[in-house]
Amino acid sequence: MSLRGNCLIFVFFVINICAFVNCDEGTSLDSGDQVRPDSPGLPRVPSSLLVDSFVPLSLMSSFPEDLEISNHCLELLSIFSQRYSDYVKCLVPAARPVRVCTKCYSGYGSLLNAYMNISSDQMGPSNESCRDSLMRSDRLMLVYVLFSNMQDLWEKSNCDFCITEKFQGVNNETTHFMKNLNQTLSCFEKYQQGNHTELCKNCKSSYKGLNELYSSMEKTLCIDVEDAMNMTRILWSKNFNCSMPRGETVAVIAVSSFMLFLPIIFYLSSFLHSEQKKRKLIHPKRMKSYSSLMNIQDKRS
Amino acid sequence: MSNITKKVSWSSRGDELGPVGEGTPLLNGSEQPRHSRQFSEGGSLFQIDRLSTVDLEEEISAEEESARGQPKEIPHNSKLLSLKYESLDYDNSENQLFLEEERRMSFTGFRCLEISRWLICGLIGVLTGLIACFIDIVVEKVARYKYEAIKQNIERFTEVGGLSISLILWAVLNFSFVMVGSILVAFFEPVAAGSGIPQIKCYLNGVKIPRVVRLKTLVIKVCGVICSVIGGLAVGKEGPMIHSGAVVAAGVSQGRSTTLKKDLMIFEYFRRDTEKRDFVSAGAAAGVSAAFGAPVGGVLFSLEEGASFWNQMLTWRIFFASMISTFTLNFFLSISHNNTGDLSNPGLINFGRFESENLNYNLYEIPLFIAMGAIGGVLGALFNFLNYWLTIFRIRYVHRPCLQVMEAMLVAAVTASVSFTMIYFSNDCQPLDSEHAEEYPLQLFCADGEYNSMATTFFNTPEKSVRSLFHNQPGTYNPLTLGLFTITYFFLACWTYGLAVSAGVFIPSLLIGAAWGRLCGIWLASLASAGSIWADPGKYALIGAAAQLGGIVRMTLSLTVILVEATGNVTYGLPIMLVLLTAKIVGDYFQEGLYDIHIKLQSVPFLHWEAPATSHWLTTREVMSSPVTCLNRIEKVGTIVDVLSNTSTNHNGFPVVVQVSENDEPSKLCGLILRSQLIVLLKHKVFVELAGSRLTRRKLQLKDFRDAYPRFPPIQSIHVSQDERECLMDLTEFMNPTPYTVTQETSLPRVFKLFRALGLRHLVVIDDANRVRVLNLYKSKVFSRKLKIVTMILFRWLDW
Repeated sequence: MSLRGNCLIFVFFVINICAFVNCDEGTSLDSGDQVRPDSPGLPRVPSSLLVDSFVPLSLMSSFPEDLEISNHCLELLSIFSQRYSDYVKCLVPAARPVRVCTKCYSGYGSLLNAYMNISSDQMGPSNESCRDSLMRSDRLMLVYVLFSNMQDLWEKSNCDFCITEKFQGVNNETTHFMKNLNQTLSCFEKYQQGNHTELCKNCKSSYKGLNELYSSMEKTLCIDVEDAMNMTRILWSKNFNCSMPRGETVAVIAVSSFMLFLPIIFYLSSFLHSEQKKRKLIHPKRMKSYSSLMNIQDKRS
Repeated sequence: MSNITKKVSWSSRGDELGPVGEGTPLLNGSEQPRHSRQFSEGGSLFQIDRLSTVDLEEEISAEEESARGQPKEIPHNSKLLSLKYESLDYDNSENQLFLEEERRMSFTGFRCLEISRWLICGLIGVLTGLIACFIDIVVEKVARYKYEAIKQNIERFTEVGGLSISLILWAVLNFSFVMVGSILVAFFEPVAAGSGIPQIKCYLNGVKIPRVVRLKTLVIKVCGVICSVIGGLAVGKEGPMIHSGAVVAAGVSQGRSTTLKKDLMIFEYFRRDTEKRDFVSAGAAAGVSAAFGAPVGGVLFSLEEGASFWNQMLTWRIFFASMISTFTLNFFLSISHNNTGDLSNPGLINFGRFESENLNYNLYEIPLFIAMGAIGGVLGALFNFLNYWLTIFRIRYVHRPCLQVMEAMLVAAVTASVSFTMIYFSNDCQPLDSEHAEEYPLQLFCADGEYNSMATTFFNTPEKSVRSLFHNQPGTYNPLTLGLFTITYFFLACWTYGLAVSAGVFIPSLLIGAAWGRLCGIWLASLASAGSIWADPGKYALIGAAAQLGGIVRMTLSLTVILVEATGNVTYGLPIMLVLLTAKIVGDYFQEGLYDIHIKLQSVPFLHWEAPATSHWLTTREVMSSPVTCLNRIEKVGTIVDVLSNTSTNHNGFPVVVQVSENDEPSKLCGLILRSQLIVLLKHKVFVELAGSRLTRRKLQLKDFRDAYPRFPPIQSIHVSQDERECLMDLTEFMNPTPYTVTQETSLPRVFKLFRALGLRHLVVIDDANRVRVLNLYKSKVFSRKLKIVTMILFRWLDW
């Protein structure tokens, strides 16, 4: 454990203490930054949710009426929670082989819908915005963080590229690709036993078709397609060893050694046949002096 | 002991040879008949460095030959000085015309001059940036076509067989591009060959390299560099940018082009070497700044290379030019990349950003960096050593333009086939990664969905390869790939530099260094316990690149700043500095920097920072040329013409003297006049007689001298009739009445400092009244006619 880790722990500890102190004294402080009535900095626990899930803590008394969350908002929140857990349940099994887009797009659509309801500006029945009360009341911003995690995941996997708009279904391009993929895979399966050369020969056309289809598709592809293609390629090249052989070593070596040989001839011939360039010496005029030699001899002695 | 022998051998030559001429070997560029006038005339050059490097045996033989009075022919070597090169006249000739003009100028006039200097610097920046942008866009577009074509071809033949055809296609493509570039350079403008940094270094140092700052050179340089980069040679386009910037500066500041015969009649005040030099240093800075996106580095480059002429205002103007240049490049590249206004492409080479957490460095890594610097120094010295011998061979045997073109084409073909073979036999396959999209991924024999990682280094423009070495994920390259790549690229780059193509050595050096640096990083990471991430290969690639580049070019301050600016991360300043420092120290132990080697091999009389360490025992008397050719203040035109056309007195400056008395008394120095001035005077026939007869004739003005600058006609083109030969010419108005003078006993380092710091071309040596007795000693020999002598030292310049 590094020094930095220790520091972090210490910092957290201090923060916790502060938060706790604020909790205790929060209600009595009506001025100051932490407890502005519109956006209080203190953690709040909606009492009705607590009632649902566990025994109410005796320390936690409920807040006054005006700070409570309306039933409308609580309802939205529970819809969100339901859809969130559904989506995650769908995602995890689709992790490998990756099918997060094609299998769970509808889950994401409804989750997005639920989140939009919460985050929209429209006022609920009691004329209050659930966006403020559910998402902006505390520094944790749980709803927002949870959703943005999922959103990140969705964007990172480029799922928009294989799902039709409004999450109606998988788009045509992807369906087409998946169909071809299945053909290729079934071909692989058929010839998997025994000699792979057979497989390489027989499945080559369908594999090549798939490969071409893949490269002809748009530049950004959703993770499902990308991963499927990667796996197929690995199967093809690594498992079945159907890559190109290095066939013409001799020709390549011959041509390049010929090229390498040319400069040797060039330099030899220019050394032997080209006339060496001579320089003419011209002498500057200098003073004829006997003194300099004498001087030097003086200096040497 | 050996040192002393050498010294004696040097000075003793003077004793034995006498005024007939003693032997500092000179280079005769007889292959260029255009310059035959200069070559046949007996100027003299003298290279201070020889003092310590001269070899005794060689000198003796040289003396024997010259004693027989026959010009000796020797093979080219690095100890010669060429007659081709003259000095620039940095020392302003303050004659009466000049003083009159300056006096006439009002305060506002000077303000206007200052403003036009700024304007010119701005223009230099804009034009340099545009040129850089042009090169970049053309290279990118054409290289894309080339690589796409080869890639498709390879893909097709991987399946059906016949990859040797792809190899030939690649070779032929390279071959043809390089042929175009090389023909342009070899046949039309040989001075555009190479990176141009040595030439600009010489120019800023005060040597006039013929045709180096002409428009034609610029055009050929730009086309040549585009061809050689597209031709797949192991070259970069950064060095030529510096040359291009300098040419732009020299052209813009004159307000006219002699090549195009266009004179805009502006900026006439700047038509002399002193002013032009300042602009050229701004142009070089703008070039560096466009090439690397390093405005401060550009300024420091000019400082490092031309530092003897420097002042604050000039620095500020140069910085302005640099900034404008990088901004212009930035702006136009953003337009070409379709996101106008995004100013994130500061230079031609973009190292990318080093911002990741792993790229921080720790104290314990400093010794590792220093060790890498030492490796870089050794490898750089090896590179320079090989290139030195190769260049000597080229100068001696591969000197005809058609041979040079053939050589360049062969190198291009071999580069292609070596690259292809490396890619073909590489087993290093890496998965395609959408984040670091390779521009031309080659699959070849890799599994589907993977690409050949050797191909990312060879099958790409060198700039892109450098960037991928710096930034690709750890594990992208396996050590074998990197090792092979380093070795091949090292030899290819070494072989390529010095060909008759325009090409820089910066990028190949960076690439070699980045490859072995990354190798070091991988090795260190494997030494460290698993899970440790301190040895990020990208970081070590950067350090390796810096070490290799430092080991080859041996620049210090400016290179550090350029690299820091190119990485955009100031915290790398310390390691990069240490690495460059070590590389320079280690490299200098073995061999000089590449640019210095090439300057020497071109026989340029280059003045280094300091006089040679062993030169204190030399005095001016021993290095000055003597007897001196003097002109009288009122001289007969015939005499002047004879002096100027005399091939054995190819001087460019002549002391003007007045006779004190009629007898043998030596004459008194009263000024110094330049050959170019005399020629202009003869051309305008400014004779005493004519002035009397034609009073209406306007007076010769400074403008007439400026109009003739910088291409003064040779004396042969000036016709003087028999009658005119009898006329007299009054030089009083035109000579510089206050030339710098030294006495005979001044030590050589002192004289050297004057030449270096003032940018002098001529220094007049006078005798010293206090030492009449000593001088009397020689009275009968050398100074038979003069006591108040005027002698000049021809220090390094052939012509003086």
